[in-house]
Amino acid sequence: MDELFNAFGLDWRLLLIQAVNFGALLFILWRFLYRPVLRIIDERRAKIEEGVEKAREADARLAAAHEESESIVGKAAREAESMVAAARLRAEEKGSVVLSEAQKRADALLADAAARAEEAQRRALKESERDIAKAAMLAAEKVMREKSA
Amino acid sequence: MAVPGEEHAGEGIHVALSAGQLGTFLGLPITNTLITSWIVVLVLSAVALLMRRKLALVPSRFQTLLEWAIEGVYDYVAEVLESRTLARRFFPLLMTIFLFVFVANMMEFIPGIGSITFDHIPLLRSVNTDLNAPLALALISFFVIEFTGILTLGFLKYGSKFITLRSPVDFMVGIVELIGELVRVISLSFRLFGNILAGEIIIAVAIFFVPFLLPVPLMLFEVFIGFLQAVIFALLTLFFIKLAIAEPHGVHEEAHAHA
Repeated sequence: MDELFNAFGLDWRLLLIQAVNFGALLFILWRFLYRPVLRIIDERRAKIEEGVEKAREADARLAAAHEESESIVGKAAREAESMVAAARLRAEEKGSVVLSEAQKRADALLADAAARAEEAQRRALKESERDIAKAAMLAAEKVMREKSA
Repeated sequence: MAVPGEEHAGEGIHVALSAGQLGTFLGLPITNTLITSWIVVLVLSAVALLMRRKLALVPSRFQTLLEWAIEGVYDYVAEVLESRTLARRFFPLLMTIFLFVFVANMMEFIPGIGSITFDHIPLLRSVNTDLNAPLALALISFFVIEFTGILTLGFLKYGSKFITLRSPVDFMVGIVELIGELVRVISLSFRLFGNILAGEIIIAVAIFFVPFLLPVPLMLFEVFIGFLQAVIFALLTLFFIKLAIAEPHGVHEEAHAHA
C-alpha cells in the first residue's frame, strides 16, 4: 500500500493542503462571485417582473380610459341630438305662431280693403244718381224752353 | 512546452507519475503541482474580485456571459435536485469543482509552463497530473455526498440503503451499493488524474517525434478533454448527491404498496 502511495506521490499533508486550497477557493467564489451574481440576477428578475406588472396595469388603465372616453362621447352625442330635436320643435312652434299672426293680419287688411271699396262704390253710385238727376232736370228745362219758345 | 511529466534526462521521454517536490516549508512538502494549484486559486479569486466590483444591474458583455453560465448551471442543478433551496446549497460546490478543475486543466496549455525549472524540477506542473489534487476533490465530494444523505434522510434511514436485513437479496444489494459508494472516490479521482496525465503524455510523445504542427490537433483535443473532465467531475457529484437524498428503495416500494 505504501509503495502504491509513493508511486503516485500521495501524501496526506498534500491532500489536506489541496483540500484547504479548494475550500478557500470555494469560499472566495461563493462570497465574491456566486452570491453577488445570483443576487443581481434575482434583483433584475424582480425588476422585470415589476416592469411587466406595471405594463399590465397601464394596459388595464388605458382600456378603462378608452371605455370611459367612448361612453362620454356617446353621451355627448345623445345630448346633442336631443338638443337639436328640442330646438327644431321650438322653431316649428314659433314658425306656426308667426304664420297665424301673419294670416290674421292679412285677413284684417283684406277686410279693410273690401270695406273701403264698398264705401267708394256707394259714394260713386250716389254721385252718379245726383248727376243723372241734374241731367234730367237740365233736359226737362231744355224741353220746356223749346215748348214755350 | 507544457509537459510537466516529461524530463529530458539525456534522451527519451521520462514520465513521472508523482509531482516533483521543490522543497519543504514548515515541514510541509511543497510540490510543483501545489504551486500551480495556488496559482489557479489566485487567478479565479482575482477574476471573482474584479467582477465583484464591476457587477451592475445593466450587465457588461463579460457579466452577461458570467450570468448566463452561472444561471444556466444553477437552473440545471435546481432541475436535477428538484429544489431551489438544495440548488442554492450545492451550486457553489459544483460550480467551484468545475471552475477549479477546468482552469487547472487549461493551465497546462500555457506555453513554457514546464520549462521553468527549479533545482532541475519543473516549477509548475498541471494540477490534476498529481493524484493528490483529484483525490482531495474526490474525498470532498465523497464527504459532502455522504453527509448530505445522512442529514437529509437521517442516519438510520440512510444507513438502511447499505445495510439491511429485510431479505438476503436486499442485504447483498446493500453491500454492493456500499462498495460502489466507496469505489466512487477512486473512480472519480483516477478518471480525472488518468485523463489529464495521459493527455500530457500523448502531447509529450508527439512533441518528441514531431515538434511542429502535429501536437496542435492533439492539444485541441486535450482542451476538450480538460473541459469534459471538469464537467464530468461536477456532474457526477451532482448525480451522487441526487442519489444520496433519494429515499431508500425498499421504503419507497413499501410506501407504494401501502398506497
